[in-house]
Amino acid sequence: MIWREKRTLLIVLGAILLANAIFFFTYRVQYENRLRALDTRLDQVTADLEQARGARLAAERQVAEYRKIQQDVDDIIQNRWSTQSERLTALIGEVKKMTEASRLTPPTFSFTRTEARKASATDKTPGAVQVGVAFTVRGSYQQIRQLINRIELSNQFVIISQMGLSSDSGEQLSMTIQLKTLFRDTSAVRQPANQDL
Amino acid sequence: MKTLHLNLAASPYRDYRPLYAVVVVVSVVIAFLMLNNVDTYYRYVRETSSTRARIAQIEAQIAAEGKRAEAAAAQTRTIDVTTLGKQTRFINIQLAERAFSWSELLDRLEDVLPRDVRIMSIAPSFDESGLVHLNMMCEAKNSNSMIVTVDRFNRSAYFTNAFPANEENTGTGFRFNLGVDYRPSIPRVVSK
Repeated sequence: MIWREKRTLLIVLGAILLANAIFFFTYRVQYENRLRALDTRLDQVTADLEQARGARLAAERQVAEYRKIQQDVDDIIQNRWSTQSERLTALIGEVKKMTEASRLTPPTFSFTRTEARKASATDKTPGAVQVGVAFTVRGSYQQIRQLINRIELSNQFVIISQMGLSSDSGEQLSMTIQLKTLFRDTSAVRQPANQDL
Repeated sequence: MKTLHLNLAASPYRDYRPLYAVVVVVSVVIAFLMLNNVDTYYRYVRETSSTRARIAQIEAQIAAEGKRAEAAAAQTRTIDVTTLGKQTRFINIQLAERAFSWSELLDRLEDVLPRDVRIMSIAPSFDESGLVHLNMMCEAKNSNSMIVTVDRFNRSAYFTNAFPANEENTGTGFRFNLGVDYRPSIPRVVSK
């Protein structure tokens, strides 16, 4: 009867006791475990940070590599290959100088022009024009080797694509050499002057 | 005779002592637990403040790293990798051809070719592996020269896969086409 009379007080006391007991057994008894768990969490987030940093560095490195490749490609196309109008006459002059320096004088030069790579409007890449220079020289083997060496050491972007040798009488050789070079194709980006008219 | 029960109490009598005893005991236990819990809480907060601050700091750093990585990935997505790859491959082939040393090749051929064999024409083509395939037209004085040439190419450390395409008796000598793979001292690997 008396318990029933004071049941509100007893329920409140019981609830407070239960809450304190739960807190006590959760925090006080498990205190060391909680500290260890916090240390583990610290280790975990440190590892996560390393992982995130690694991923970020890899992504940035990849961007830097792409940019470097793009820069190198642009440098070759824009500066090393340049355009036909900027470099063709210099190239022919250089080839003539090299043959004269080797004391070889080609009687004829022939020139060809082909499209080496098409310009693409979709990906906005410039095309490339391949210009071939072919000539025949007659001289000693040493002179021919000198000429080849000079072409290899030339500052011009010139490639020996093919060569043919035949022997004349005595020590004289006849060499047909095909050189090629590449230019940036400007025809694809050239706009008509009266486009808007 | 009937017994007379006299109740002279002003109010009904009840024994509350067990109730008070329970309330007092429970209150003492609650007070003990509460003090302990408060102490535990403050001790936990005090002892772990630096660790929790460090965790919060690291989590902020992780979020920042994630943002920077995402920004880098977004930059990568703006680059047309396929086109760049095609351009690079095309340029690499040209650079490999430019870097090819004819002087070195002629030196090697001078060592390998028999004395009675002359090269009439030579054309290289560049392989992905770094080998350079040479197509050669040669002229020789006797019919055995082609076999000797192929043998000498096969023995050389710089040449491999020598294979003749044809041989023709020109009346004054023998002319033959030969394909051989050449290993330059600095191979330029070209991916096509």
